[in-house]
Formats: sequence, structure tokens, C-alpha cells
Amino acid sequence: MLRKLVIDPVTRVEGHGKVTIHLDDDNHVKDAFFHIVEFRGFERFIQGHPYWEAPVMVQRLCGICPVSHHLAAAKAIDQIVGIDPEDLSVPAGKIRRLLHFGQVFQSHALHFFYLASPDLLFGFDSDPLKRNVVGVAAEYPEMAKKGILMRKFGQEIIKLITGKKIHGIAATPGGVHKHISAREISYFLDGKEIPTIDTMIEWTLETLEFIKAYFESNRGFLDSFAAYPSGHLGLVNKKNGYLELYDGFLRATDSEGTRTLNDVQNVEYADYFYERVERWTYLKFPYLKHLGREKGWNRVGPLARINICDGIETPLAENERKIFKNATGGKTNNMTMHTHWARLIEALYCAEMMRNLLNDSDLLSSDLLRKGERRNRGVGIIEAPRGTLIHEYEVDDKDRITRCNLIVSTTHNNEPMNQAVRWVANHVMDGKPEITEGMFNQVEVAIRAYDPCLSCATHAMGQMPLEISLYDSAGELIETRQR
Amino acid sequence: MSLESRRKLIVGIGNPGRQDDGLGWAFLDSLGDSGSGEFALEYRYQLQIEDAELISRFETVVFVDADRFTHPDGFEFSRIGSTRAVYSFSSHVLAPETVIELARTLYRRSPDCFILTISGSSFDLEIGLTESGRINLDKALGFFRNEMSRASEIAHTLG
Repeated sequence: MLRKLVIDPVTRVEGHGKVTIHLDDDNHVKDAFFHIVEFRGFERFIQGHPYWEAPVMVQRLCGICPVSHHLAAAKAIDQIVGIDPEDLSVPAGKIRRLLHFGQVFQSHALHFFYLASPDLLFGFDSDPLKRNVVGVAAEYPEMAKKGILMRKFGQEIIKLITGKKIHGIAATPGGVHKHISAREISYFLDGKEIPTIDTMIEWTLETLEFIKAYFESNRGFLDSFAAYPSGHLGLVNKKNGYLELYDGFLRATDSEGTRTLNDVQNVEYADYFYERVERWTYLKFPYLKHLGREKGWNRVGPLARINICDGIETPLAENERKIFKNATGGKTNNMTMHTHWARLIEALYCAEMMRNLLNDSDLLSSDLLRKGERRNRGVGIIEAPRGTLIHEYEVDDKDRITRCNLIVSTTHNNEPMNQAVRWVANHVMDGKPEITEGMFNQVEVAIRAYDPCLSCATHAMGQMPLEISLYDSAGELIETRQR
Repeated sequence: MSLESRRKLIVGIGNPGRQDDGLGWAFLDSLGDSGSGEFALEYRYQLQIEDAELISRFETVVFVDADRFTHPDGFEFSRIGSTRAVYSFSSHVLAPETVIELARTLYRRSPDCFILTISGSSFDLEIGLTESGRINLDKALGFFRNEMSRASEIAHTLG
């Protein structure tokens, strides 16, 4: 008799994920799947709207990374009005980047302090009543307070530029709608109302020291947990191949570091990617055409970005990248749990870049808009906190959107997350007579490392209300457990 | 006047794009329109962990949210007494009690906290309150303005 274990939901909030694990009579794992069971249809219902509405509408996809969707759409719509990324005014480009760095910084802080740290600090099998942010606050109050203020700093940057912490507006076709004043910038530099950007850098470095020590003392386990070979995809700087979050070439490598996508222009992305549909999930499976479905899938996000880049332009983050690379002898890192470490290196990069920009007088300029020759297609690709985010729009001569294609970070990570679930099923659950709460949490730990945004979901803290159902081979429910 | 110089905070929770789920925001809009300057007003789709740091800076905090439950008066107002964190699996479902406990744990601050829930009747994807939601909002506003406009009066009234 085949048994099926179901974790549903893996998270809540409009995006619901579900895990099913199929066991046979001897409790051996036959197969495991990570399903996305929601459907939102943004690509369809945006059709017919005027193109300038896209950056405003699509950010409603998400309450966690709306800035990423706003900027990716804005980059695409820039091209509709004839503006490529390098044609933006210098101030507009820098304001957008500052916004993006603020977004990534606060998102990475949220993930590490609120979502990931309970597992790391208390252990995967610890009491779920303790394994949450309240437990972290009780036992590690100084760390928790720093996490709160780091997230707040990034959110205040977002509020400065967009007017709101969530679903504000900054970008307009060909630029941004307002400049920043010296008084507004001093808020982030003088330390009177919030800790300064220098403090953010200091705290991020402290957190990196914590994670390095943690990895050192848990090396064997963290190196192997949910580790598997994969491709790695992301943007790199067009000039030097360095880490790039806002605008760059698409680069991918295989699990050994060999290039599989060699610095491709954004507008050409469709020539290189297919998206396969499976019957059991609404989330597609993107892959590189020339490698095929089996070999062409890639991880995206912090681990992939640190793997594919040739360096980081800010000195402190570059130093941390070198330490990270040394941990694998310079080889490509395929260890899923190391994503947490890579994420903090990126947070440091964002903090350093914010410091540079907050001290840049170009932000005070009113030279904010450009316009070029009208086009009918635009592609905007950025690196969202969770990975490569692609927006493509086609527009008719009456300014109406006729086609939209979105490949979000979590879609790229669909196959990697399925691999992670299978790893835990095979290495943790296989052959065990009883499936414990700790085992189920390990499934979530593996998924959580990707910080997936199932339409802003899997921002799960601590205990998840998992419903576990056992089915026999005929599909009959034989047992349900809830924790 | 800066946010911190006011010692009272009202947090409106909800999503105005889902009909009566916008009651919390509509409550703040009405207070703002009527020039109630003694309260700092904060709009939230949902409470967040960093709101612990926010409320720690106030003496009195009122959370205003829509409620699917039909209260006889159209709303219910109560003090959040001895609190215990309500665990949730998602950062999108953070209870006021959890935020209050985090403020106490991290910042050693325990503001006087109240919750005002206003009955809504429909929560579909549509901008604008329902007629019954608007009636309940007016009742809640009337109550709040008449009886609870000052934190000291709140404390006195509820003992």
C-alpha cells in the first residue's frame, strides 16, 4: 500500500504551497513534490491596460517585494518610451538603485532575523513553541532588536523614495517622479532618529561573524543538508561581471562553474528560456532551452548570485565573498544552507551601496526624466531579493498592453525547491516508522532557505499549522495529523 | 508635531481594496479628516514585528480592525489586558498580543493597549465600504469621539 504525506499549507497568505511525500509500505520514499496551488492571473488581467499602469499594478502581486516588481516593470516600460537602462538620467538611475538596495536589505534582514534564525538558534527539532521570533526575542534580545532596526532602516529608505513602505510609487516611464532633499538624507546619516547607515554596516558585519562561527561549528551538517548539484543563474555587472542587482547581463553556470549562459542581453532572454507546465502545480518550470528540462534548471537568489559573479565592488562585502569562496576552495557552492550566509553578504553589499548613494550629491538633482523613440516591446530584469525577476510587455499603438510574461524568482527556484524537498524526504524520512514534527520542519527548513515568495508567502515564522494527511494507494484518507 | 511627541497611537489594520476589511483605515481617515491631532495614526495591511518598536514609544495604543463577527453595537472596544503572544505561522497574521509581548520583551515597555473591532459584512475584492460597514464605522467613531478621545479617560472609563 502506498502512503501519501501531505503538508498543506506550507504557508498561508494568498499563496499556498503544499508538499506531498509518497511512501510505500516499508516507509521508503517513492516520490516527493512541492506544489503551488494558487493562481493569480496577473499576466492575463493586465492586458488592455495602458502601459504606464504596469509598474503600479504589478507590484500588487506581493506585499513583501513590491519594490522588485515595481522596478522590473518600470525597466520594461522605460523601453516602451525608448529608454534603455543606460539612458536613464544619472540621478534617476541612482534613486532607483537606492530604492532597490533598501528593499533587498530589509528583505534579507526580515528573512534572516524573523524567519531563518529560529531554526538556526534553537535547532530544527526544537520545541515549535519556542522556535519562532518571540522565542528569539526572549533569548537573544539584542540580536532581535538589531534585526528589527535593520529591517526598519530598509523600509525607511523605501518610504523616503516611494512615499510608503508598501505599494508606494517612485518610477515613472523614463525616470522617477521626485528627487530627494538633503534634509531627507540627513535622517539616515545623523543618527538622531534611527541608527545610521554606518551602524547598519557594523551590525551586518556582526551578523556575518555570527553566521560564520555557526557554520564553522556545524559544518558537516550544514554542508550536506539539502545539498545537490544545480545550475546557478543571475545578473552580473555589464562592465566587470561583478555582483549586480539592478541591471546587468544574464549569466548562468552549471554545478561545476562552467558557463551555460554567457552574459546575455536582457531583451534576448526569451531566446534562451522555456517554461514547462506540470499538471500538479500552477508554478511553471523554467529552464535553458539548449540544456533541456532535465539539465537546464537553475537556482536563483543569493547563493546563485555569489556563485556566478566575478567579484563585489564594495570592499567589505568583497572580503566576505572571498571568505565564502574559500570555504569551497573556490569551487561553485551547491550547499543549500549556505544560502543564508550568501544572503548576509548581499545585505552587507546593499548597506555599503546605500552608504555610497546617501553621500552622493546626484540624489539631490532634479534631472529625473528621459524620453526616446516609442517601441512596442520592453523587457525588465532585476535581481529581486529571492532571485532573477523577469517582466516582459508588448504594447499596441494605442498604448494598451497586449501581452505580459512574468518569470518570478520563486518560479526559477521551483525545481530547486522540489529537489530540496526530495532530499529531505530521502535522507530524513525514508524508512522511518514515524514522521515527527521535527522531520516536517526539516522539509520547511529546506524550502525556507530559498525565501520563496509564493505570492508573498512562505514568510512563515516558527510553527506552521501543518495538516498531514495519509492516503492509501487508492486515494482514501487513512489518517490526518495536525500540530 | 512629530509622531513621538504624541503619546497616543492608533493603528488601523486592513485592506481597503477588500470592502469592509478597510474599516480600520476608514476609521483613521475619519479621525484625520476631523483634525484629531492628539493621536498619531499608522496604517497597516497587517501588523509587523517592527511594530513592537513603534508601540514601545507610546503610552496608549489603540488597534482598530474589521471583524467578521456581528457585534450587537456594530463594534466592540476592549482593553488588551494581560497578554500572551499568539503564535502564528505567518508574519502576515501577527496578533496585537504578539506585538505587545515583543515590546515588553525587547523594550521593557508596556503601553496601555486597546482593541476596537468594527463589524463588517463583506470582504470581496472591491474598493469601498458596504452600507452596513459604514453605519458600524459611524457608531464606532461616535463612541470613540465621545467617550475615548483622551487616554486618561480611556483608562478611567475601563478602570
